[in-house]
Amino acid sequence: MAAVIETEDLSRSFGRQVALDGLSLDVQEGEIVALLGPNGAGKTTTVRLLNGVLRPDRGRARVLGLDPGADGTELRRRTGVLTDAAGLDDRLTARENLVLVAGIRGLDRADARRRADDLLEHLGMGPLAGRSVAGFSTGQRKRVALAMALLHDPEVLFLDEPTSGLDPVASRDVIELIAGLAREQRRTIVLCTHFLGDAGRLCHRMAMLDRGRLRAFGTTADLAAGLWQGLVVDLDLGGPAGAAVLQILEAAPGVLECDTTPAGAQVRVGDRDAVPAVVAALVARDVPVYAAVPRAATLEDVYFAVQEGRR
Amino acid sequence: MILPGPVVAVIRKDLTAIRRSPAVVAPMIAVPVLLLVLMPLGIGLAARAQHSVDISRVLARLPGSVAEPILRLPVSEQLLVLVCGYLLAPLFLIVPLMVAAVLAADAFAGEKERRTLETLLHLPIPDRQLFYAKVLGAFLPAVLVSWIGFVAFAVVVNTVAWPVLHRVFVPTRLWAVVILWVAPAVAALGMGVMVRVSARAKTAQEANQLGGAVILPLLFIAVGQSTGLLLVTVPVAIGIGAAVWVLAGWLIVRGAHRFTRDRLLSN
Repeated sequence: MAAVIETEDLSRSFGRQVALDGLSLDVQEGEIVALLGPNGAGKTTTVRLLNGVLRPDRGRARVLGLDPGADGTELRRRTGVLTDAAGLDDRLTARENLVLVAGIRGLDRADARRRADDLLEHLGMGPLAGRSVAGFSTGQRKRVALAMALLHDPEVLFLDEPTSGLDPVASRDVIELIAGLAREQRRTIVLCTHFLGDAGRLCHRMAMLDRGRLRAFGTTADLAAGLWQGLVVDLDLGGPAGAAVLQILEAAPGVLECDTTPAGAQVRVGDRDAVPAVVAALVARDVPVYAAVPRAATLEDVYFAVQEGRR
Repeated sequence: MILPGPVVAVIRKDLTAIRRSPAVVAPMIAVPVLLLVLMPLGIGLAARAQHSVDISRVLARLPGSVAEPILRLPVSEQLLVLVCGYLLAPLFLIVPLMVAAVLAADAFAGEKERRTLETLLHLPIPDRQLFYAKVLGAFLPAVLVSWIGFVAFAVVVNTVAWPVLHRVFVPTRLWAVVILWVAPAVAALGMGVMVRVSARAKTAQEANQLGGAVILPLLFIAVGQSTGLLLVTVPVAIGIGAAVWVLAGWLIVRGAHRFTRDRLLSN
């Protein structure tokens, strides 16, 4: 599979402020990769560098086989960007925003209008197409901006917080739309988001940035395997485990670490085979065990572990 | 000159948005109406009422090339022709300069303020074409408003003077040079300054304040010198216009060469 996006040591500073420091990653065709990180982590700078809006101080990037710095105009014909602010002109209607931007992209006016209406309809904005966007809610603006990013059938999409401000139903619709673009149309998508749930559901791999540096890059499972040994098991003991119960758990064979939870305890064991012995140790000391559920590490677990510098 | 499609599209987008913006349209209409319709009407009527006043002493201080044609007129026509044909000229150059400055200030700073700049920069238009599109998006309305304003001015002063002169006396050949050659140059000069200021400012208001430091002296020079412009011969007026064009062209071309998306976002 060909890498649609490749970067090597990509770096950019603004004065003394380092915005991105030595980013090296790849994104394959049809893949959705999340750029995760707090504000100021370097997500927007990365998108700007990858789309040829900024030039790097150091390192290189190739997107769709093009150098964003040298071939920015050609590259931007083939990419679509949804910015965090949505970027709609309040003085124009939803349709005008799309059609006038389509003109800058070189689309025929009649085609642009037809495509704009189709996309707005698809995103539930059809009845509002002729209204000024000034009175639109954040969610409505996001949907119009998403239609703008999709107008020219881009091969690569950069989406900055596509679901912020959307209600749960609209958010689910947008996530399904994005997943469909990657799955059915082989679009390559870079998603900048604070919503770990969205990233976990949508993205194949995660790039975790912090203060301009790439702290981790891979699937949730791979990153978890790199962070922690073994398997996490949630134990339902009917209430938080006390010191005596934690002592029993620490002494049980195969337990690497344990901690109390509101429902009981969470233990990390070497592998699945250790679970019966842990339960048996508790039962032998008359501690009731209502459930023992092995649980894969979530994106939230990995993200917070990375951000807290546990690697 | 055939403009590239993306340039035309950016201009079309800006002009559509300007038309929908009362805060921009209102001064673009109000100032020309005040300067080119109401003031000439009032001053012209006052001059007509005083048409028998002897102004030969005033004319004696003017260069011969201007004074002589007026002195050859009947005394009843002299004041009207002097006021409406020459002394109101300063009002005329204010309009293109002001409209160009207001629109150019909005070019990039307005996009930043409305949070639409990022979307614009992610579109497939080369840096230089984007700069020229923003310049033309301010220049074309400035020139159009100036020319419409001048037609209104000519109608007003000729109508006011008709009972005394019984003929159309504006525009003269010199006026035509000022309207068609010097005024667009002045608009281009205002833009050359303001578009660059706009790229550095965060809001249109900040751009107007920063640009005002440059535009206001230009405005005073334009006002101060434009009367004089109508006191010179046609070739000299063409030469002055050419000098302004060269300065404006230098500013705009230099601005275009220095303009990059990267620099715009790095400021």
